Amino acid sequence: MLKSASVTRHDRVPRPITDTCEPMTGQQSTTTSQWEEALTFVALQRDKSAYAELFSHFAPRLKAFGMKMFGNEQQALEMVQDTMLNVWKKAALFDATRGCASTWIFTIARNVRFDMLRKKQSRKDDISADDLWLNGEYPEPQADDDAACWDNQLLTEKLAPHFERLPPAQREVMEKVYLQEKSHQEVSDELGIPLGTVKSRIRLALDRLREALDGARN
Amino acid sequence: MAHAIKFHPGMALLEQFAEGSLTADVALAVAAHIDLCPHCQQLNQDITNDLACQLAQQNVKKHSNDWTSMIDAIVDQPQLSKAAAIEPATSAATQPVVVNQREFVVPRALQRLAANHSKWLQLGGIATAKLPAGKEHHVSLLYIGKNTEVPQHTHLGLEMTLVLSGKIVDENGEYCAGDLLINSPDDTHTPRTMADEDCLCLSVLSAPLQFKKGLTRLLNPLQQFFY
Repeated sequence: MLKSASVTRHDRVPRPITDTCEPMTGQQSTTTSQWEEALTFVALQRDKSAYAELFSHFAPRLKAFGMKMFGNEQQALEMVQDTMLNVWKKAALFDATRGCASTWIFTIARNVRFDMLRKKQSRKDDISADDLWLNGEYPEPQADDDAACWDNQLLTEKLAPHFERLPPAQREVMEKVYLQEKSHQEVSDELGIPLGTVKSRIRLALDRLREALDGARN
Repeated sequence: MAHAIKFHPGMALLEQFAEGSLTADVALAVAAHIDLCPHCQQLNQDITNDLACQLAQQNVKKHSNDWTSMIDAIVDQPQLSKAAAIEPATSAATQPVVVNQREFVVPRALQRLAANHSKWLQLGGIATAKLPAGKEHHVSLLYIGKNTEVPQHTHLGLEMTLVLSGKIVDENGEYCAGDLLINSPDDTHTPRTMADEDCLCLSVLSAPLQFKKGLTRLLNPLQQFFY
């Protein structure tokens, strides 16, 4: 379902994020590099069993995402099919050095869904997913020391209430890193999430806290 | 870019952008901002990682579908080589936008659409050209010549303005390339350019402008011009 543009000048109140990051029973041993490896095998060797493994993990989850976005099973399944077909056909484009397999697959699903919605209007010149989301990477920005200098000020009394309001997935990571002083790698292993995602969640949480304090954003 | 971008989309807007749940025309303004703003590029990447990881870790019911026929149909298809898999270059049309004998290079997200803009309509120092985009909102390029004021107006709906080049100033502040202004129906403002610099913006409107003051109210029949 399309959300209408609920844009206000101060939308600092965090949107509730459906957080589904419960530790997975039986999935805990899934190492984070498993999907990257599988995808690489698919690309290099047309490896059908690696593909089937990827498929059986991601397809049901993509379907759940599709159900949430479309609200009907037929379109959700169409999105799963288109997404997983692209994963098979375009596996050669996946570059494990640039990011997680889950991110790559998610962005394909998002773009497929977006273009499915637009196609109904059959206007070729209209906005497409390719216009909106860069296929690849932006040039590396200059080193951002913001995170480092925020470390020191973190978790002062002023921040504590905002800390409580972080989305659960981000708060969990922040607690482990800042309160229990675990390394990013330890947090990654413990939660069974990619190292990059640990770093992402920390940056997002820091940005939210900064936003909560100075409200520099629209 | 020498100056720092000061006006960014809010976190909620970025999250909806990364998730793909914004309407296309609002997403376009956010995408063009991101093209110009390294800070939001990083945030967008982080949010995308986070969402993707949540998706991958989601609990789902086992065996609610039989996927074998779908898998079989897919692996029967040929895979693409790396070269063939890359979408036909969207960057083919890196033409500058030309208005008032000036050339402007627009952000990547706008290049394909801007190459197909409608013809410029001119009114005083202001010109607009529609982009072939959007159903819910009207998306256009807005050129404001040097030393020009857009009469004070309010918004019947949402107004998003992304400065692409140059600078505009209103009652609330100064906006330079990359800055994203979002005005809701309650906001009234009088944007203008400086004496020495013209300005190109992307404008996304959900409803016409309404002019407020004296004779400029005569412009109200012309509100379609800005819309």
